Amino acid sequence: MKRAARGNLLVVLRKQFPKASKNKNKNNRKHSLSVCLYGSEDELRRLQDSLEAKPEDPSLRFDLGVLLWNEDNNISKEKAAEQFVAAARLNQQNGAVFRYLGHYYSRFSEDPPRALKCYQRALSLDPTDSDCGEALCDLLDDQGKETLEVSVCRDASDKSPRAFWAFRRLGYLLVHFQKWSEAVQSLQHAIRGYPTCADLWETLGLAYHRLGRFTAAIKSYGRAIELESTRVFALVESGNIYLMLASFKKGIEQFRQALEISPQCVSANYGLASGLLGLAKEFICLGAFRWGATLLEEASKVAKETTILAANLSCVWKLHGDIQLTYAKCYPWVEEIQGLELTAEAFISSIISWKRICHLAALSARCSYQRALLLAPWQANIYTDIAISSDLVYSFAECPSYDLNAWQPPEKMALGALLLETENYEFWVALGYLSTHNALKQHALIRGLHLDVSLAVAWAYLGKLYRKKDEKQLARQAFDCSRSIDPSLALPWAGMAADFHAGDPAADEAFESCLRAVQILPLAEFQIGLAKLAVVSGHLSSPQVFGAIMQAVECTPHYPESHNLKGLVWEARFDYLSAAASYKLARFGVTDSSSSVSKSQIRDITINLARSLSKAGNFLDAVQECENLKKEGLLDAEGLQIYAFSLWKLGQNNMALSVAKNFPASVSSMEHISAAASVSLICRLLYCISGLDSAINSILKMPKELFQNSRISFIVSAINALDRSNRLESVVSSSRYFLKSPKDMSGMHFLIALGSSLGFQSGVAHLRKALHMYPNSGLLRNLLGYLLLSGEEWNDSHLATRCCCGDTSDDLIHGLKSTYEILGAGAVACYAISNNNPKFSFPTCTYQCLNEPGAIQQLQKCLRREPWNQSVRYLLILNLLQKAREERFPRNICIMLERLICVALSDECYSKANVSCNYQKFQLLLCASELSLQCGNQNDCANSATNASSITLPDNYLFFAHLLLCRAYASCGDLSNVQKEYVRCLELKTNCHIGWICLKIIESQFGLQNDLNLSELNFNGCLMEGKNLPNMWMAVFNLVQGLISVWKQDFLTAEEFLRRACTLASAESCLQLCHGATCLELARQWCDSQFLSLAIRSLKRAREASAIPLPFISALLAQAEGSLGSKEKWENNLRHEWFTWPPEMRPAELFFQMHLLARQSTAGSDSSNVECCQSPQRWVVRAIHTNPSCVRYWKVLRKLDG
Amino acid sequence: MKLAGLKSIENAHDESVWTATWVPATESRSALLLTGSLDETVKLWKPDDLILHHTNSGHCLGVVSVAAHPSGHFAASASLDSFVRVFDVDTNNTISTLEAPPSEVWQMCFDPKGTILAVAGGGSASVKLWDTATWTLVATLSIPRPEAPKPSDKNSSKKFVLSVAWSPDGKRVACGSMDGTISVFDVGRAKFLHHLEGHFMPVRTLAYSPTDPHLLFSASDDAHVHMYDAEGKTLIGAMSGHASWVLSLDVSPNGAAIATGSSDRTVRLWDIGMRAAVQTMTNHTDQVWGVTFGPAGGPGRLASVSDDKSISLYDYS
Repeated sequence: MKRAARGNLLVVLRKQFPKASKNKNKNNRKHSLSVCLYGSEDELRRLQDSLEAKPEDPSLRFDLGVLLWNEDNNISKEKAAEQFVAAARLNQQNGAVFRYLGHYYSRFSEDPPRALKCYQRALSLDPTDSDCGEALCDLLDDQGKETLEVSVCRDASDKSPRAFWAFRRLGYLLVHFQKWSEAVQSLQHAIRGYPTCADLWETLGLAYHRLGRFTAAIKSYGRAIELESTRVFALVESGNIYLMLASFKKGIEQFRQALEISPQCVSANYGLASGLLGLAKEFICLGAFRWGATLLEEASKVAKETTILAANLSCVWKLHGDIQLTYAKCYPWVEEIQGLELTAEAFISSIISWKRICHLAALSARCSYQRALLLAPWQANIYTDIAISSDLVYSFAECPSYDLNAWQPPEKMALGALLLETENYEFWVALGYLSTHNALKQHALIRGLHLDVSLAVAWAYLGKLYRKKDEKQLARQAFDCSRSIDPSLALPWAGMAADFHAGDPAADEAFESCLRAVQILPLAEFQIGLAKLAVVSGHLSSPQVFGAIMQAVECTPHYPESHNLKGLVWEARFDYLSAAASYKLARFGVTDSSSSVSKSQIRDITINLARSLSKAGNFLDAVQECENLKKEGLLDAEGLQIYAFSLWKLGQNNMALSVAKNFPASVSSMEHISAAASVSLICRLLYCISGLDSAINSILKMPKELFQNSRISFIVSAINALDRSNRLESVVSSSRYFLKSPKDMSGMHFLIALGSSLGFQSGVAHLRKALHMYPNSGLLRNLLGYLLLSGEEWNDSHLATRCCCGDTSDDLIHGLKSTYEILGAGAVACYAISNNNPKFSFPTCTYQCLNEPGAIQQLQKCLRREPWNQSVRYLLILNLLQKAREERFPRNICIMLERLICVALSDECYSKANVSCNYQKFQLLLCASELSLQCGNQNDCANSATNASSITLPDNYLFFAHLLLCRAYASCGDLSNVQKEYVRCLELKTNCHIGWICLKIIESQFGLQNDLNLSELNFNGCLMEGKNLPNMWMAVFNLVQGLISVWKQDFLTAEEFLRRACTLASAESCLQLCHGATCLELARQWCDSQFLSLAIRSLKRAREASAIPLPFISALLAQAEGSLGSKEKWENNLRHEWFTWPPEMRPAELFFQMHLLARQSTAGSDSSNVECCQSPQRWVVRAIHTNPSCVRYWKVLRKLDG
Repeated sequence: MKLAGLKSIENAHDESVWTATWVPATESRSALLLTGSLDETVKLWKPDDLILHHTNSGHCLGVVSVAAHPSGHFAASASLDSFVRVFDVDTNNTISTLEAPPSEVWQMCFDPKGTILAVAGGGSASVKLWDTATWTLVATLSIPRPEAPKPSDKNSSKKFVLSVAWSPDGKRVACGSMDGTISVFDVGRAKFLHHLEGHFMPVRTLAYSPTDPHLLFSASDDAHVHMYDAEGKTLIGAMSGHASWVLSLDVSPNGAAIATGSSDRTVRLWDIGMRAAVQTMTNHTDQVWGVTFGPAGGPGRLASVSDDKSISLYDYS
């Protein structure tokens, strides 16, 4: 429909810019070459003298003529002409003479024919004479002999390629005759002669433009503008090309530039306005309505100014109409007051003012179209424009009232267009779109298709029509057809999506289809449809739906459904306040838009509102809404639930219960799912308000059919789990029958385990069984891990880490604790975590902890995924501290840990006064303190520990802070403070055995005796209290006491303590080893073989008990056996010892022992033994190499060498 | 002869005023000025103070043409959607509504006796004649096409009829087309007579001299006013002076002067004897869509209406 407008524009352009060829050739005429070097008087006299001498010399006559010609009076011109005539007579070959003659005849003696002949003569002599050529052409032009002009130029250009003037003139003329391609050639040639002539470039641009070579045209115009920045024509034309190529921004730039030069230029103004319109349409198509509207406002202003400049240009009015129409369609409604404060009056008035703006714009569009039509009533497309704008005007009008039998204006005007151009299928489609009679619609669309069968729009509208008439099959076919012809058309996609209710495509497919429609064209109808489909297919939280519904609300704020859907979308995004605000608006809209809406719609919206209010925590308002509904008798089951729930939350328990009592009445009429919800709510309310017993009683009273649902089963089971006497057993077991999915089943097992975990063992046992059935259930695994970890006997932590070995990346499991927490905590709980590398330690733990350093890596992964998660960081720090401790605090790990702790402590969550937070902070401070201690920084250590001790926590935790302070002061030898802290520890007490054991060690090392031996007493008290593994702890205490005795060189007492320890925990290889070693020492001191056999027994037990071969045991055993005289056993044990050491850690003594062994076996036969791989000397050398300070080795070596 | 401004009303209508005519005086009242506008209303004004007499609404689109019956009792108004409403001037009762396909009602004119209403039929390339007693279509005077119309011929709009005029004796109807030709018909035989050539742009208004049945004036977008011998097919005068399209034209009751309104925002008074503009009124600020002389017998009056929403009344002497 732009066609006519463009046509008109061309007319304007031609008017504005009279043909380029004219007025261009006013070049400054170069005057004759013979410039007077002397004073003209002298020269004249000189020439006259020489002429008298040689009257037959034509060049003298010519020079004289030129001299006279340049004088400024008519008489001398006459005289000059005489000279020229004479010169011409004498020499026929001088073109310049003829040119001057031509000038004379044309300008002074008014004798054009003779002038023509002279010029032609001159040109035939010298075709490159531009002065002459231009003069000739001007002469011809004045006489209107354009064809002659062309032939003169052609002659000249044929004769000499250097006759650039001719090419230029020819180019202009050809452009004037609209022979574009020929013109291009001439102009290109001319440009070689005059490369800086802006006129030529501009004309070349025009020729290219008309030939449809747009890029070339833009370049040529650009060159012209470069040469002369004030070329309005070039600017406007290149702007038009840019618009045609849909690069509106560039076009707008050109037009603005043109307007700076010539602000009154109609075509530049027109171009600017249409450029802005195009740009705005682009934005609107993206859904940026506000942006588009601002552009349109500017465009409308420009267009309005243009109509003042050129009031009788139909195309300008049409453009203004187009702009206003687009504005009316896109002007977005803006929520001025955000949130719930918006009142109904404010909302309605804002809707009315929005509507008024749109309506006014539509009216203005229609007025402008009417003006355009009055100016050019024969332009058919304007009728359609009026029809479309009328349609829009009526859609905004308050009460559209017209007689159904009469022709309605939109329809009628569409017909007007058709009357003028019957064969235009677009008009048929427009009629089909605008008509309100289905038969006419169908007829018009089919006529359109007759004219062009591949008319996707017509097919799409036909489909829409059939859908309305409920002929699904035909509708589908039509939409299919349209979609296959033009997949970039939005309507068929939307149409296909709307057919979803027919049940054909799945909800997802419909959603996808509708989404595509919305992406192609952001139309409010499609967007609302999309949101509706999202409700059905569960895509409500997707961002596309969010964007779509936001735009829909901007465009159809008067439509309650859009606000309602917006509320649903907000709710799906968990923004309940915004959701409530939207629902409120929806209800204002419903109450405003008269009685046509049903009560059920109001009810639905109100219930939505109440629900989001209660979800947002605004129970008071939610209750208010429910009460309002109740007054009108519209409160249904869901409403009742919200009502009861909100009442309960408000603390009006009795009211809530009385409301809840109404549920069962409504349950029978409800759908399955909502019935379940309401029963669950009753149970929950009963439990929370009236307590366990009353809840159980009520449940027992309710009919059993109500519990036939998986969800209710959960609630009932949960209540049952809390009940010790299992009164609900029958209900529970019957309801469990309805659990179907594995997920539900595993969830139920989780619940059962929780219930029975009031007794720990049974819970674990149940979970183990359940895990057999559902090995993939992360929920069950996590719970099992958690239970195992929290078991009072710290026996199962290694199992805990093992049972939740699943990947920690699975966030979907919502149990009590997440996988990574269990993993991290389990790993910390296992003392011997980390390395398979026995470089640092030889674990004697019989439980083989298998996950090892994996925990640290998993925690790092978690931390990388959630850098804000402070509990992961905390666990990581603890694990790393374990690792550092095990590796004897290497410098690098210490530094890293210090930094980690510093970061963790700066986390603001530790400023909260919360027990678990305080505990974590306490732990972190202790870690920091420990690290400082290990790095030898006693001050920091003491500071951190003091900080930790000032945190408000139970005494038995604070004990450890003071213990650490003890150690800190001890390490710097501050005995008085050590004593002080020691006393403080004794005061605080702890129920942790290890605390007392540590205290005992400190006590013994620093001689901090007290009269009552308090630490031992306390430890025993602690043993009495705790139920877990008293033997183990007693054994450890005995070990410590034994070690203390060893330090005091009191080996007999030590042996006694250690023997006691061994009897208490015979399976501990460490204890056995210690006992064995002590016995061996005693045997050495007392030379008592009885001790030797005791040693052998303990060492053998130690070897049997250890999971991996421990060093020293075999060496000691060899010693003992050797002392008893068994050489073979000595050898075997020594060999065994060799293999228990990792290669890089073998001590010098081992090599030395091997030398002994080698010396023995050199006599022997078997050479396959280890010791035989090298000579005894070599063994000694290796021993010396490892420990060169030992004199004994050197002596042996000397002896061997000697 | 000269014009003197009497009264001017700004914002007489809410939108551009597009057309005006005088309703002759009846026994009970004096002559009235009838104007039609883009704001979809028709207004009746009492001279000389231009007091609003009545406002008629009911059109769905802008009013493009109004015509008054010679008796002064009733008048017709037509809007862009081609509804013609015939109404009683005094009571505003609707006498009849004539419906035509859109694009087929432009200038309207009652014949001097008042028995026939001629309507310029726009896209139908014809003039439609309606009987004013029965309000039925009595004849369609079609412009013959140069060659047989082809179905794909999109040039049918070339003959788009914009204007119509009755000769003072009521025997001839002339109509002007978009391509600049004027066609003359014999009403009695319902026959096309001949074309009058000369304009090359749309002819917006036609008017016969009330004193001379041969003399036809035409106003065209080519900025010229032509004077034809409508019977003898000859152009007897061309008057230039307007800087832009001549949109409207009327001949004074004595036939000595014509007035024109133009896109150049001026109203000009032309002396037919001198064939030259004698006066230019520049009081309008936008293009002038209508000029109309007061009916014979009354005081010499000229009214002009314009896109600037105003109506101006002049004394013509």
